[in-house]
Amino acid sequence: MRVTDGIEVDVAYQPEATPAQIRTDMDYRVALDRALIVVGKVELLRCDNFVSDLWALFAPARARAHVLDTPTSLGVPLVIDLMESAGTPEFAGTLRPPPGRYCGMRVLGMPADPDAAGLSDENLEMMQHSVLIAGRVVDTSSGEESPLLARIWEVFDCEMRFDRPLVFDSPVLETISIQIDHTSWFDGIDFALQSSDAVQQQITENVRSSLRAVLADASAQL
Amino acid sequence: MWIASGASACGTCSVGDPTLTVVGFEQPKASRVRTSAALRHRSDSIGESGVDELTLSEQRMELAGAYSPTDRLSLYLMMPLVHRLITEVNLAEANVWAPGDLDFRVRGVVWRDRKFAPRHLVSMIGGLEFPTSSIEYGPDGRPLPLEFQVGTSSWDPIAGASYTMFMNPWSVYVASMAIFPTTGTADTRASISVRQTALGQYQPWDFLAFQLGVEFRFDGPGYIAGVRDPNTGGNITYGTLGIVGVPHEKVMLHATGAIPMVQRLDGTHEEGFAFTAGLIYDI
Repeated sequence: MRVTDGIEVDVAYQPEATPAQIRTDMDYRVALDRALIVVGKVELLRCDNFVSDLWALFAPARARAHVLDTPTSLGVPLVIDLMESAGTPEFAGTLRPPPGRYCGMRVLGMPADPDAAGLSDENLEMMQHSVLIAGRVVDTSSGEESPLLARIWEVFDCEMRFDRPLVFDSPVLETISIQIDHTSWFDGIDFALQSSDAVQQQITENVRSSLRAVLADASAQL
Repeated sequence: MWIASGASACGTCSVGDPTLTVVGFEQPKASRVRTSAALRHRSDSIGESGVDELTLSEQRMELAGAYSPTDRLSLYLMMPLVHRLITEVNLAEANVWAPGDLDFRVRGVVWRDRKFAPRHLVSMIGGLEFPTSSIEYGPDGRPLPLEFQVGTSSWDPIAGASYTMFMNPWSVYVASMAIFPTTGTADTRASISVRQTALGQYQPWDFLAFQLGVEFRFDGPGYIAGVRDPNTGGNITYGTLGIVGVPHEKVMLHATGAIPMVQRLDGTHEEGFAFTAGLIYDI
């Protein structure tokens, strides 16, 4: 039997390296002890369907026990420990989409399944959380230090556009890197004034906006 | 040159009837030996278009021999060589050339209205498909799914019955056949399949006949490792149109096209046009 590969898209997560302290845009310094995120599903979006897919953002996201892989989506949840990843890419899998034009990716953050990749005895609580952050916050103006604990259990969608459409009309291998910049997760938060609920809400929004889908040649230019 | 010079000299006429019959349809005649080669093409698609569709284009070359030890019995042996091109939704292709499953059948005439030049034949058919096809393995060393295999690689009993009517220049062939696959490659069990054929033939000249028919197939569910394959089962009806010609007294050519007319296949499964062309040589 002779087998020839078709259209394949390798997907990898690429978190930023975690600095000892993260300086926020509101002059706080955040020192992280733990930072974990669970990615439940990653999906390639057709340009034709981009509008309708965006519309789907407004519908409540549904958590499913286990999402199956399809040619345009990877369904095995992956627990990413941002403290250990140190800027190294984490391979998520290979998509095998049909020919067409693709304009973006959708990532679904959700609590892990028992068989999620990266789930261990040390992070079992990620079966209840999409994102877990623990550390300390220092107010640079007063020098006051307070503990930081954010547990996001909700399922959230994150939709990202490519800087150019991916057009597949013949067998090819592409690579997409989903960059996670968790150094921006604490921007726009005034820890001294905002309630813990408001902080958590803002972190959720920041997690969404911290993801970027970068095509291989574009990332090479960066 | 291309027209048989005399009907009385042809193989079919030695059985007392000038009807042109392809292998399997004919009246048995003691010591008659026929060989045949046929090319078959069919296409198939499983899964949702543009989402997870798997398309199959298959060409088979079937080499067969038929021998009748008596006027009531025919033995038939067929060996296929199969080419399969499987295209996945992402344009990945798997190209397979391999021998298929050897098919052996016995046909016994259980009733005929008269001994010489019978007009009505009722036959019983029994047979077996042998697991001669090669097993295709993936890079991980595990057998590939059934769609990627050229045969079931299982011992598959066959049973059926047929009725043939010869009323020159008309003839009719009706047959019911069932295949009962056992567990084969990769712990898969192909569907039980029941096939019904009804074929009418009009032969305006000794050397040429036209066929019009209907083929109905009912498939039960197929199983992979005990789990039902959702894209197996259901029924399909083909309309067939064929031509049979005799360019030489010992040679018969035939060609048939089959168009799916009614498809009620389970899951997301669609079958396409099928075509058969072949040559039969009477020894």
